[in-house]
Amino acid sequence: MALSLTVNGEKRTLEVDGDTPLLWVIRDELGLKGTKFGCGAGLCGACTVHLDGQPIRSCSTPVDLASGKSVTTIEGLASEGDLHPLQKAWVEYGVPQCGYCQSGQIMSAAYLLKHNPAAERDDIVAALSGNLCRCGTYSKIIAAVESVASGDSVDREGA
Amino acid sequence: MTLNRRDFLKVSAGTSGSLVFALALPGCSGIQIGYREEEGAWKPDAWLELTTGNKVYFTLARVEMGQGTYTGLTTLIAEELEVDPAAITPKFAPVASEYRNPLYKLQLTGGSTSIATSWMPLRQAGAEAREMLILAAARVWEVDHSECTAFEGHVRHPNGVDTLPYGKLVRLASSETVRHDVALKPQGQWRYIGKARGRLDARAKSTGSAEYGIDIELPGMVYAVVTRPPRYGARIQSFNGSDIQAMPGVLSVLEIERGVAIVAGKYWQARKAQQKLKVEWDNADALGLSTDDVFADYHKAADDDVGERERDDGDFADAAAGAERVLEASYEQPYLAHATLEPMNATAWYHGNSMEVWAPTQAPDLGRIAAARVSDLSPDDITINTTFLGGGFGRRLTQDYIEEAAAVAYSLKTPVKVIWSREEDTRHDLYRPAMLHRMKASVSGGEVTGWHHQVVGPQILDWYVRNAAPAQYPWSPKFLYDTLGKVGLMAEGIATPKDISAIEGAIDYPYKVANVEVRHTHIDPGVPITWWRSVGYSHNGFAAETFMDELAHETGKDPYEFRRALIDHQPRHRAVLDRVAAMSGWKASVPSGRARGIALFQSFGTYVAQVVEASIENDGIHVHRVWCAVDCGQVVNPEIVRDQIEGGIIFGLTAALHGEITLQDGEVQQSNFHDYPLMRNYELPEIIVDIVDSDETPTGVGEPGVPPVIPALGNALFALTGERQRKLPLKAAASSL
Repeated sequence: MALSLTVNGEKRTLEVDGDTPLLWVIRDELGLKGTKFGCGAGLCGACTVHLDGQPIRSCSTPVDLASGKSVTTIEGLASEGDLHPLQKAWVEYGVPQCGYCQSGQIMSAAYLLKHNPAAERDDIVAALSGNLCRCGTYSKIIAAVESVASGDSVDREGA
Repeated sequence: MTLNRRDFLKVSAGTSGSLVFALALPGCSGIQIGYREEEGAWKPDAWLELTTGNKVYFTLARVEMGQGTYTGLTTLIAEELEVDPAAITPKFAPVASEYRNPLYKLQLTGGSTSIATSWMPLRQAGAEAREMLILAAARVWEVDHSECTAFEGHVRHPNGVDTLPYGKLVRLASSETVRHDVALKPQGQWRYIGKARGRLDARAKSTGSAEYGIDIELPGMVYAVVTRPPRYGARIQSFNGSDIQAMPGVLSVLEIERGVAIVAGKYWQARKAQQKLKVEWDNADALGLSTDDVFADYHKAADDDVGERERDDGDFADAAAGAERVLEASYEQPYLAHATLEPMNATAWYHGNSMEVWAPTQAPDLGRIAAARVSDLSPDDITINTTFLGGGFGRRLTQDYIEEAAAVAYSLKTPVKVIWSREEDTRHDLYRPAMLHRMKASVSGGEVTGWHHQVVGPQILDWYVRNAAPAQYPWSPKFLYDTLGKVGLMAEGIATPKDISAIEGAIDYPYKVANVEVRHTHIDPGVPITWWRSVGYSHNGFAAETFMDELAHETGKDPYEFRRALIDHQPRHRAVLDRVAAMSGWKASVPSGRARGIALFQSFGTYVAQVVEASIENDGIHVHRVWCAVDCGQVVNPEIVRDQIEGGIIFGLTAALHGEITLQDGEVQQSNFHDYPLMRNYELPEIIVDIVDSDETPTGVGEPGVPPVIPALGNALFALTGERQRKLPLKAAASSL
C-alpha cells in the first residue's frame, strides 16, 4: 500500500506493506542506516526515533501507525550541518565504544532534554533506562547528557 | 640516483618521468607498496598510504569493535610519522598475510593483543616512512638530513623556517632506501601516546554515519533469513517450501547446510514468510541434553578422572596427607551468550568466478575459508570487506554467519544480506562453556600449604580449528580442509600453540603456596562454544579468587591481608592489590547494610585488583561501588584504557548478576533481552579506575577488567550474608539455589 510520512522534515511517499516495522522502512526504503536493529521487541532501544516528537521503538511500530506523521531519526538531529549539543557532547566525552546503541541513546536523551532541559542524573537514568549498551558506556552517556543539561561543556545553540 | 631541486619540482608536479616503484614484502600475498603515479599515492609499507594531496591513510588490521583499535593503533603510527592522529583516515584491512596477528598466524582480532602486538611494528613503520620523507626533503634542500625534523605532516629545514608538506615529498620519498635501523622517539618526546584524547570514531558513531555490517547496501540486494535446527545435530527431513515460495516477496527457499533459507526482496517479507515455515526435523542424531545433564556429566567425569596434569609444583598429595585440614569446594558456571548488540549478519555477492563478502568479522581470513567451503571457489577468489563491528566479545571470531550468507549467495546472481533476529542470535550463539571447578586446599598452622584446582569442561580449539587450520594454509586444496582441522588438533601443543582456553588463569595461580596442582578433566557435551570476553579467565577467576576468599575466612584472616601475605614475591600483583586497598579505604568502615569483597587477578598480561561494595535490598543484589587498580604497562590512550576496564567490569557484573543460558531437552531456553538480560543504566555502580604508571611493554585491556569483578562481588555477598556463593549467576540468597 502507498503511505506518506515526513522523515527529517521531508515528505516521503512509499509503497510498502503496512505491517512492516517503521525501522525497516527507515533503513531499507529510505536508506537511513543510523537507526539500528537490536532486538525487534522494544527491549534494547537501539531503534529509537521520534514520532511526532515522542520517542518510540521503531522495531515494533508498524509503519502504518506512522502514516501522515513526522519522524525524526539520528540523521535529522543535527540542524544545518551543526551537530546537536548532545552529539557534540558525545564526541567531546568520547562516549561510543562499538557505537551501535548510541543513536538510540542520543534520541532518548534528546527527547528528555527537549522537555526537561535541566534534567538531573536521576531523570537521565530514568529516561535512558530502556536503552541497552553492551559495551558498558553508561557512565559516559550520563556524564555527556549531564554536561548538556547543565550547559557545562558544549555550546547549547540549537538545543 | 640523485635528484636536485629542479627534478623535485618536475616530479612533484606530476608531469613526466614515471617512477613507479613497487616491491613485495617477503611472504607477501600481494599488498603492493611503492608509488603509484596515476593516483599520486605512496605506500611505504602495508600500513600507510600518503598522497600528493596530503592525505594519510592507515590500513587498520585489527578490527574496531568498541575496544578502540581505530584510535589506539592510529595513534601508534601517527606518533612516529609525526602526523596528528585526527588527520589520518583509517581503512579496514583486506585479507593479506601482512595483516595476520603474529601471535596466532591468523588475521584475527582477539585475546587483548592488538596494542601489544602493534606496539613495535606500527611505530617502526611510522618511523621508517618519516625517515624516508626527511631524506627526500634533505635531498631537495641539499642539506644534511640529520638536521631536518618532521612535525605535523611537514619536514622542517635546518634553518627552522622553511618547510615542505609530506604531500610534496611522497613521490621522492618512494625512491629512498628504507632504513630499518631508524630510532624510535624517546618517551619524553611523545606527543600523542599516553595523552588522553577522544576517539577518532566518536563523530561517526554519534551521527549515525558509521557503517556496520548490517548497514551495507548494494544494488539489487535481496534479504535472507535462515531457520536453523533447534537442537544441535538435527537434520532437515522436510519443509513446506512451495507454500513459502508463494508468499509475498519471496524469491526463493533453499536448503543450505545450516538450515532453510528464505530469500525475499525485503527483510520483513522474509521474516513474515519464516513464520509460516514448517520444518520437520530428523532428531535421530540430535543432542537432547539439558543443562542439568551437563553438570551431572561434569561431576561424573570429575569423579572418574582427575584429568591431565597441567601444573605440578611440589607435591599436593603429600601436603594434603600431612595437613591439619583439607578444605574442598566446587564451583559451577553456566553457558553464556555474547549478545553483541548488532546481531549476526553478513552480505555476499557471487560473481560467477569470485565472491565478495561484507561482514562485521573478527577474523576475515577465517571468513574466506567459511565462504570457500560452501562454494566452488578458492579462498583467493573471495574478498572479505570488514566493517565496524557492533560488538564482538569473541562471537565474531566464528564465521558461521559468513558461511550462511555465502551459501545463499552462491545460488543467486544478486547480492544478499542475511540478518539474524535477536532470538536466533541468542539461541544459535556459540557460548562461553559451562564449567565445573573442584578446589582443594591443605591448611596447617593457619597457613595454606597446598592448592589443587581441577577444571572440568571443554576447550575451545576443538570447535575453532575447523576453519582456523585451513586459514593458516589458504593455498591448500579444499578437500584437505577437514584433514587440516584434524591435524591442527593433533599437532596442538607441537606445531600449534597448546589450547589453554580451559585452564588459563588456573595454571598461572600466582600466590606463594608450596604445593600447587592444576588438572583439566576434558569433557565436551557437544554444545557449541567459542571465545567469550576473557575466555578461560572468566571462569577460573571466579573459582580461584572465591576459593582464596574461603581460605582467608577459614584461617581467620582479612581477605586483603591474606592475599597480600602470599603475593609479596610478585611486585606487579602486589602493587595493584595495595593500590585498590588504598583507593577503597579497605580498612575504613563500610556504610551500614553494605559489605565489600576483593579479588586480584592477572589476565592477558595485565594485572587487575578490584574491590566491590554491595548490599541486598528487597531480595535483590545492589552493587554500589567498584574500585579497580590496573597495571597494563605503557598506556597509549588512558581514556580508552579506563573505558575498556569499566566496560569489562559491567560485562562481568552482567554475567555475575544475570548471565545464564540453559538447555532443556536440547533446546536453548533464552531468546531475547527479557530472559537474557544485560545490565541497564540504573544498575550501574560508581566505578573508580586507577591506572598504574608503568614503563613496561603495553598489554591488553579489553578483557582483563572482566574476571575479578565476579568473585569480588561474590565475596562481598559472603561478607554481607555469611553464605558462600559457589554458583553463577549470583543470587541474593545463595541457599535458594
